[in-house]
Amino acid sequence: MQALPSIAFGGFSGSAKGVTARQVGGRTILSVKSFPTGQTTVAQVVRRASLTKISKSYKLLSDSQMLEWERLAEHCSGASVFGQKAKLTGANLYVRLNANRVMAGEAIISDAPASQVAVPNVSYSQVAITPQLIVFSGIDHESSPYKLVVKMSGSQSAGISNGWSKTVIISSEVEDDWGEADVTKLYLKTIGVEPTPGQKVFIESYWVDTSTGFTGQIFKDSVIVTGESSFTPRKRVTMDRLNPNYEQHVSAIEVDFSSAAPVVQYDVMCLGHSNVASSEVNLEDDLPVELQGTSWAIGRGNGEDGKIVAQSYVMWLYGARYGDPAKITFAHRGGYYVKPTEVFGPGVIY
Amino acid sequence: MNFNSTGNNFGAGTISFRSHQEENFVVLNAKFTYNPESPEYQAADVLEIYVPDLSIDRSAISGVFLRFRDVRDSYGYTWDNSGGTVVKSWIKDKNTLCIEKFPNFDEKGEITIYILALYTMLARGGNPIKGTKVRLQTSQETQYLRWGSDTFFVEFENWIFLHMQFGSCTYAYRDSPWECNLDNLPSGITADLPFCGGGNQYNPSVDGISEAHIENGVFTCQTRTAGFEDTGHDPFIFAFLVRDVEE
Repeated sequence: MQALPSIAFGGFSGSAKGVTARQVGGRTILSVKSFPTGQTTVAQVVRRASLTKISKSYKLLSDSQMLEWERLAEHCSGASVFGQKAKLTGANLYVRLNANRVMAGEAIISDAPASQVAVPNVSYSQVAITPQLIVFSGIDHESSPYKLVVKMSGSQSAGISNGWSKTVIISSEVEDDWGEADVTKLYLKTIGVEPTPGQKVFIESYWVDTSTGFTGQIFKDSVIVTGESSFTPRKRVTMDRLNPNYEQHVSAIEVDFSSAAPVVQYDVMCLGHSNVASSEVNLEDDLPVELQGTSWAIGRGNGEDGKIVAQSYVMWLYGARYGDPAKITFAHRGGYYVKPTEVFGPGVIY
Repeated sequence: MNFNSTGNNFGAGTISFRSHQEENFVVLNAKFTYNPESPEYQAADVLEIYVPDLSIDRSAISGVFLRFRDVRDSYGYTWDNSGGTVVKSWIKDKNTLCIEKFPNFDEKGEITIYILALYTMLARGGNPIKGTKVRLQTSQETQYLRWGSDTFFVEFENWIFLHMQFGSCTYAYRDSPWECNLDNLPSGITADLPFCGGGNQYNPSVDGISEAHIENGVFTCQTRTAGFEDTGHDPFIFAFLVRDVEE
């Protein structure tokens, strides 16, 4: 360790054995060299390699670019330690923002953002965690360029009150589907084991502005894992909810009944069948009475011959009856009939 | 509520909208043209129309109609092969209405877009609200137009959904301007409507699109495209229409 004359006033820097001292913004920071306690994961290796690459790329910037990063860094600050906010250098800020961008699948930016930008805070109504399902609901959606970063821990004892240091990134680009984000697969891929009922999972989440790399405030949460989910998915028909025992005449389907408006929302690729100008799907689950009826939507041909004719379609939504499953029939009405046709958009129901 | 666009990214002028807006859906009506040769259009990946604050900050996909004009003279006879299709549209945020860029007919020159669409949000915590189908009753002094059984409307306080399906026309009137009364159409409806259907000999990827108009409960259609009555190309109108009523 290099002891400077001002050591009495804390002015020293360097490393000795496992201790490193450094001067940052007039403060002396002592840190003990840390050694990894667990096996290094692939994600960690990738992240470290990415940080190294970003750090090296800073040295390739022009003087004016570095100056811009320094200028921006003057207006940004690092984490607060004992009430004193750490100052950031241009290089620190460059690495920090670009690391966030790279994590979200974006390329490294050389030019500093014009200014610091405010990023929204995360807001959601519920996280339901069971061994089979991990889903956020009621997320206040943010459009591009914002992406949601979610960090979660493995199951911890329910008695632990502060376990956020054990969280790891589940995904840096969670996209909510109308406020719902099912992260079950991401969780299992990262953590490796299902959550245990009765134990606690710690969660951190924040938005990252992928255009600049700035992040919003970290929202900390913890949830007790339950055996059964309190989450009720919204009512819709998708490919995985069609009855596998019946012939289906669509190659893709999403019929959504959750608008609370006078319309059903359609996005269906109708293939047609036999010589009839219609397509049918048989459903795994029954269709409640309140969702049965007649509905209309617009269609556009998607024919192999290049036909893109505008058409109108009537849909009949039937509940299960006489031993047959619930069914939706998409029947062509206006325009020239084309196979296949994409039926899409909102349709009134009566 | 009527409003004007505040800008766009494809070189069109100011676009006037009629709208009905609720907390989970909006109905928008507008008609405008753009020039596919404009540099702004050519630079755009998605057509964006900037608007004053809407009541919703995003929507699921809806459909709007795109129409090109293609009128040819052949041996002293005018062939109207105008046509088009439906393109996707959605609300990206409170101030941006998006339309899918659909360049298939850019070489035809000026394109007309008809927005007669409802844009809805999803996951609103409730089922769809059912309406009531009402058969549209039509009348003419001399009955020369006949409409199919799928000619109806679903009425709401501030908007309607209208579907009209052409049946047939008395031969002597096939080339005349058409006019017929829509006897029980709810009040306050004024709109230019794409009348989709009919074969399109010169543009076989699409059907023809003629233009009709509704005002004061009267349907008019000055001319139809060639092939309008071709078998199997059933002409129809599909529109969510804002009613001009006190809100």
